[in-house]
Amino acid sequence: MRKFLPTAAAIIGAAILQAGLAPYLSIGGVVPNFMLLVVVTLALVEGASAGAMAGFASGLIFELLGTGPVGPMVLVLTLTGYLAGLMHEKLFAEGWLLPLSVLFIASLGAEVAYGLILNVLGVGGSFWLAFFTKMLPAAVYNTALALLFYPWLARFLRVDRPMNTFRRLA
Amino acid sequence: MRLPQPEKSQASVGVLIVLVVLAVVITTVWFREGARGPIHRARLGVLAVSTPVQAGGEFVTRPVRGFLSWASDLGVSRSQLEALRTQNTELRARVSTLEEARLENIRLKKLSGFTQASANKTVGARVIGRPTNQWEGVITIDRGSADGVAAGMPVVGAQGLLGQTVGVTKHSARVRLITDPNSGVAAMVQSTRAEGIVHGTLDGKLTLDFVSSETTVRAGDVVISSGMGGVYPKGLIVGEITRVRNAPSALYQDIEVTPAGKLTGLEEVLVLIDTARDAGVGGGE
Repeated sequence: MRKFLPTAAAIIGAAILQAGLAPYLSIGGVVPNFMLLVVVTLALVEGASAGAMAGFASGLIFELLGTGPVGPMVLVLTLTGYLAGLMHEKLFAEGWLLPLSVLFIASLGAEVAYGLILNVLGVGGSFWLAFFTKMLPAAVYNTALALLFYPWLARFLRVDRPMNTFRRLA
Repeated sequence: MRLPQPEKSQASVGVLIVLVVLAVVITTVWFREGARGPIHRARLGVLAVSTPVQAGGEFVTRPVRGFLSWASDLGVSRSQLEALRTQNTELRARVSTLEEARLENIRLKKLSGFTQASANKTVGARVIGRPTNQWEGVITIDRGSADGVAAGMPVVGAQGLLGQTVGVTKHSARVRLITDPNSGVAAMVQSTRAEGIVHGTLDGKLTLDFVSSETTVRAGDVVISSGMGGVYPKGLIVGEITRVRNAPSALYQDIEVTPAGKLTGLEEVLVLIDTARDAGVGGGE
C-alpha cells in the first residue's frame, strides 16, 4: 500500500496531463507521452515487475483516451516497463544521464514498436514517414520533457528510501 | 565514495507473461467485439470522465494560444498581405458570379420541378479537446446525444468538410478528422468528376486514391465529397489538389490534397445531424 498510492497517483496524474495538457504541447503534430514518462521512471525506481504492471495500466488508459485500437499500446508499454526495469539494478536512478538515455531508447523503441503493430493491424500509414515525422521527434521531445519531470517524479515514487542526488535539479 | 549495493532483482517473468497475454486478449476482443462491446463501452466511459479535463485544458491554455496566434500573425509580410488582398478581390468577384449562377439554378429548378435533396439541419459545437496522442487526428466537441448528435454524422467547418463523429456520450462527442490515417471520404474532383477515396496521412495531408491514370487531374483542382457510400453528403469541399504524379505503368495516379481549412486550431464546428448513421459506419467506433 505504501508504494501503491504514489504509483497510482503518478499514473492518474499522467493521465490528466495526457488528456488536458499534452494536446497543447504538440509541436508539429508531435504530442508528448506522459504515460511513457511515468512508466519508465517507475521501472527505473522500482524494477521490472512494477514497470510492467505500470506499463499495462498506463497503456490501457492511454488507448482508452484515444480512438484507435485498444491493446497495442498496452502491450508496448508493458514490455517497455519491463525492459526498462531490468536496468534498475544496473544503473543508479539517482543520476540523470543514464536514466535519460534509457528513457530516450525506451521512448524510441515504444514508438517504433507501436507503429509496427499498427502497420501489421492495417492501421496507420507509411512506416518511414511515421519514423521521421512522429517516432524520432517524439523520442527527443519526451526526453526533453523528462529533464523537467524525471528528478521530481523519481523522488516522489521512491518512498522506501530518499534520493541522495538531484539536489541541484529537484 | 562507496557505491550503493545492487538492489535485489524483482523481475518476474511470470508477471510479464500474464500481462502480455492479457494485452493480446484485449487487442483481440477489441477487434472482435461490436460498438456495444465492453471495451468500446469503457472507452465511452473514459470519454465522459475525461471531457471536463479536456475542456479545462482548452480553457486554461486559450490565452497562451491566443497570444501565440497573435505573435505568429505579426510575421505576415507586406508581400503576403498584398497577395491576400488581391486574392480577396478576386474571390469577391467570383462570389458575385456564383451568386448569380445560384439564383439562376434555383429558378431553373423551380421551372423543371426538381426538388432540393435536403437542407442540412446542423448543430453548432465548440471544440473542447485536441488529439491526446500523435497517432490520430481526433477532436472532442461539447455536443452529444442530448443535442441530437449520433455516431457517424458528418462535421463541417467554415471552409469545408472536417470529419465525422465516432464516439458519442450524452454531452460530448469525438470527431475523427479527415486527416486521421483511419479516415476515408468518397470524393471526386469538382472539374472533371473523377471519383476516388480521400485518405488521411500521418503528416496531416490527404491523398486522393483510386483515380484512374487515364483521367486528367491538375494541381489546383478542388476536391468535393461525392456522396457515394452515404456517409457524407455530396458537394462538401474536402480540399485542393497540390501535387499529381502519374507513373507510366501505374493504374492510379498519386494525388496529394491539402485540406480546405486548417484543422489544427479549430474552435467551432457544425454537426450535420439530419444524416444520422448507425454507429460504426465509415470507420467509426
